[in-house]
Amino acid sequence: MRRRLRGSRGLVRRGREGPGGHPAGGRGLGARATFAFAERGVRPTAGRRRSPGNHWLRHQTNRPHRAPSPAVLPGAMKLNKRSVAHYALSDSPADHTGFLRTWGGPGTPPTPSGTGRRCWFVLKGNLLFSFESREGRAPLSLVVLEGCTVELAEAPVPEEFAFAIRFDAPGVRPHLLAADGQVAQEAWVKALSRASFGYMRLVVRELESQLQDARRSLALHRCVSQKVGASCRKPQVPDRRSPGLENGHFLPRDCSPVRTIEERGCRPVGRDLSEWELQGPTSLLLGRGQSPVSPETSCFSTLHDWYGQEIVQLRRGWQQRAQRNQAGCKQQNEPCS
Amino acid sequence: MRYNEKELRALSQQPAEMAAELSMRGPKKGSVAKRRLVKLVVNFLFYFRADEAEPLGALLLERCRVAQEEPGGFSISFIEDPERKYHFECSSQEQCQEWMEALRRASYEYMRRSLIFYRNEIRKMTGKDPLEQYGISEEARFQLSNLPQDGRAALVCARLDELD
Repeated sequence: MRRRLRGSRGLVRRGREGPGGHPAGGRGLGARATFAFAERGVRPTAGRRRSPGNHWLRHQTNRPHRAPSPAVLPGAMKLNKRSVAHYALSDSPADHTGFLRTWGGPGTPPTPSGTGRRCWFVLKGNLLFSFESREGRAPLSLVVLEGCTVELAEAPVPEEFAFAIRFDAPGVRPHLLAADGQVAQEAWVKALSRASFGYMRLVVRELESQLQDARRSLALHRCVSQKVGASCRKPQVPDRRSPGLENGHFLPRDCSPVRTIEERGCRPVGRDLSEWELQGPTSLLLGRGQSPVSPETSCFSTLHDWYGQEIVQLRRGWQQRAQRNQAGCKQQNEPCS
Repeated sequence: MRYNEKELRALSQQPAEMAAELSMRGPKKGSVAKRRLVKLVVNFLFYFRADEAEPLGALLLERCRVAQEEPGGFSISFIEDPERKYHFECSSQEQCQEWMEALRRASYEYMRRSLIFYRNEIRKMTGKDPLEQYGISEEARFQLSNLPQDGRAALVCARLDELD
């Protein structure tokens, strides 16, 4: 997709230190445009601007149909590089580090040759950074590890421990790397294979549902074993298992009121700070206020309240939809059922 | 710093967690708000000119702070320079809330913390390590000890924001 000429400023090319240089017009747009359209299930119309009506958000505009000017070059994409570099250097956990020889990657010649360049690599999440040295204060390069697979590979020279990051995107050559030994090679291939955001998300969701299941069964167990009464009673912690099962972190045995997640979040006194901090993600994921699966909802009336809230919300939703339907009916002058 | 721009562009074409046309203003002084198609894919926020297939730019969302600005508007800034804000305006406070929630969860670091938390909880409740079955219990990214020092501060901020 070509970028429009911007008003009377004519050709605009953003300054960049991006990967190689795009040959002026030489690459053509066919490949990229085709790929972009194929991704979105739209028939490619090579060289021609799509009509506004086909936009992926189906957003109608009144812009006139414009033929692309051959003088327009695709501009470089902006990235918040300063923040990215800061992240690379920060003490956020590195998932893997080590020296690797590198041939491919951004800014290097297209055909791997020679012995490659030895750099210090740092993997954080789905981002692979390289530095000149361990003490490097600025990353040399970044490889975003999405839409790729990692496999063992052959190096251009007899390097025994090579592997490659192969990208799904068409027209992108694999990034060739080599480790110092077999152990390092295997460790890197494993680490890089698991680096994608999607992989992490899958594991998180799996654990989240496992935790909900565990809590649900525990809460039900407690409900059944308590007398259902008007007042909330102290949750009795079973002593069968290790003390760790006192999963109401912030319910010391002699404290009876049922606490909300916010209260819990604000009062870490007497508890590990790290435990309190780790509460954060759950409350964000499960919603504010109590949930039926939090350990504190072992009191039946609280469970009842929570489901009551859910029903109120559902009812509200139904009402809103009903109102909208009514409005629709009025427009069409039809009687509403 | 070089980066694999082609792959990032390809990523911008992937199915999005959230996508909408919002008004966006860059952090530089005197920058003007413009309509942009904003698309959240994994831990990147891409922004496009309306009707263009190629993104104008991307923001990596690690260690960012998402804050409510005027009603219906929010900002994204980064830990190393919290005053340097990218401003976004939504069509409603509801939409704004949706985006803020999604953006706060859209980082690898956030997922890492969630995972470590769940793992720990499950271990406490069941006595078993849920990652054993996947053979990944030793992976660096899942270790409790690997939470960053200032990740705690960030989490505190996030929690305090939630309470606002």
